[in-house]
Amino acid sequence: MSDVILETHDLRREFGALVAVDDVNVKIEAGTLHSIIGPNGAGKTTFFNLVSGTLPPTSGTVFFKGEDITALPVHRAIHRGLGRSFQITNIFPNLTVLENVRLAAQAMGRDSFRLFRSHGRYDEYLRRAAEVLEQVGLSGQELMPASTLPHGDQRKLELGMILAPDPEVLMLDEPTAGMAAEQVPELMGLVQRIQVAGTKTVVLVEHNMNVVMRVSDRITVMHQGAVLAEGSAAEIAADERVQTAYLGQLYEAPNPEAES
Amino acid sequence: MTAANATVSAGFRSWLQRRRGVLLLAAALVLFPFVISILIDGQGVGAVLANDQGNARFLQGLAIEIFILALYAISYDLVLGITGLLSFGHAMFFAVGAYSFGILLKSFDIAWPVALLIVLVAALIQAVLFALVLPRVKGITFALVTLGLASVFWIVIQSSDLSDWAGAEIGLQGVQPPVWFLDTTNERFAFYLVTIAILIGVFMVYTRIVDSPAGKVLVAIRDNEDRALMLGYNTFWFKLLALTVASITAVLAGALHALHQPIVTPNVAGLGFTVTALLIILIGGVGTISGALVGAAVFRLLQFYLDKWFGGASDLLIGLAYVAIVLYLPFGIVGTWRAKAVQRRKGLDFVGSLVSGRKR
Repeated sequence: MSDVILETHDLRREFGALVAVDDVNVKIEAGTLHSIIGPNGAGKTTFFNLVSGTLPPTSGTVFFKGEDITALPVHRAIHRGLGRSFQITNIFPNLTVLENVRLAAQAMGRDSFRLFRSHGRYDEYLRRAAEVLEQVGLSGQELMPASTLPHGDQRKLELGMILAPDPEVLMLDEPTAGMAAEQVPELMGLVQRIQVAGTKTVVLVEHNMNVVMRVSDRITVMHQGAVLAEGSAAEIAADERVQTAYLGQLYEAPNPEAES
Repeated sequence: MTAANATVSAGFRSWLQRRRGVLLLAAALVLFPFVISILIDGQGVGAVLANDQGNARFLQGLAIEIFILALYAISYDLVLGITGLLSFGHAMFFAVGAYSFGILLKSFDIAWPVALLIVLVAALIQAVLFALVLPRVKGITFALVTLGLASVFWIVIQSSDLSDWAGAEIGLQGVQPPVWFLDTTNERFAFYLVTIAILIGVFMVYTRIVDSPAGKVLVAIRDNEDRALMLGYNTFWFKLLALTVASITAVLAGALHALHQPIVTPNVAGLGFTVTALLIILIGGVGTISGALVGAAVFRLLQFYLDKWFGGASDLLIGLAYVAIVLYLPFGIVGTWRAKAVQRRKGLDFVGSLVSGRKR
């Protein structure tokens, strides 16, 4: 299990004088759930953007399965098996729930430039979409316009859109952002099942410390653009630097009664 | 062998079934001049075939104008309504077809199929030209850049240096029909049939495209282009595809226009003519494809009959009519009809559930 699937090497991004990501070296092992935490402005989302190819780095490299993908455009990275979600819900609001996921599945095939046959004839994508909707718990809502779903379901839909192409690595940027507290365990359970069920690797940015401490195999703490600490949940919780820099303000020892 | 024949005929039958509406429309349009000839002109079937003067011949001419406008508007609906690209230079797509086909026939004495081929190459080139702008600008900026491109063309075709060919600000005149079935003056009914065939053919191709995997990506681009990119679609190629198909359609419309009208004026390259396409799809329903056909008919008939009945006041009345359409049919004629169809179906389902006593 110690194969490194995703690795950054001195990854750096500057916005003018601000160093948003400061020579970050992270190794993410295949099959793990690796969380990236840190206070607001720590550079977590910028780091995500650099890795997924949404934003070009100032310097440094990103390796995915041993290959340099630093300069790879975003639509190519996903074909290699790197899927990501967004902090702000990013779906096709006017298309149906099914079509949102079907498009995600179709993107992986070779039929997207077919012009003269109905999309319904390519039923492998429809089947995949139905399967994924079942997995994320949106069966029965296939024909609803995506914008009419409640926020929590939209987050599930987005997770489905990342799952549909069956990527090896899922990068989830605050999948529970804006969700009602009682919905969080459900979604995180979903994320855990995805990771445990398959050979998938999950990279998670999350603010909810209870969630992070419970589900993560490994945690990287970012602070002011740089890596402050890295280790297992227990190690991070015990790390004094982390506590003083960050956790002290936010993290309270998990209260068994408050959970689920 | 017989089994294969059976599946072929079954496939054909299901095709007929699915295309029932448009095939009936085509049949109605073909019969239309005969009906007019018999009922209004009091002439026979022969009068249509003999190209006799009368309402039948005149209304065929008006219908051809509608078909050409519909072809032009359907191509704009693919670009704006389906793919969501706000182009203000769409008139250029049409004008390039009209001018290049007209000039090639008039000044270069080329066989018409060759001329058509050259025009199609021109269509590809201008689609690529528009697409080159795409990665750099989005939204309203794309609109302005495409307006700029079209304005350059508009100025060039009016230049006195090209007046031998393009006729400067007066326009291109004296294009001779290259073959009998493209002769709108002497073989009106043949030309009428040709334009119907092209329009119906293009319409069927467009409805197929919109329903195809590629068409679904175009709609995704309209809805949220960044997301489409993040799903792994190289959206540039899809936008180029839409522009290319639209460009080919619009040059065909332009070429027919050059054959049908005695003069091709520079107006067809102007912003006003792009707005015409916009108005047509607003009336018919943006992104509905069939709305372009309905919109073109409503647009041209309103224009023609209001002008005929009210003369100078017609512009005001046309304006009021547009305001009324936008106010009361916010999704256009076809778009609003479809939206209501959902409600109608819901209503029917509800009634059905009451009758069958099932809980909903």
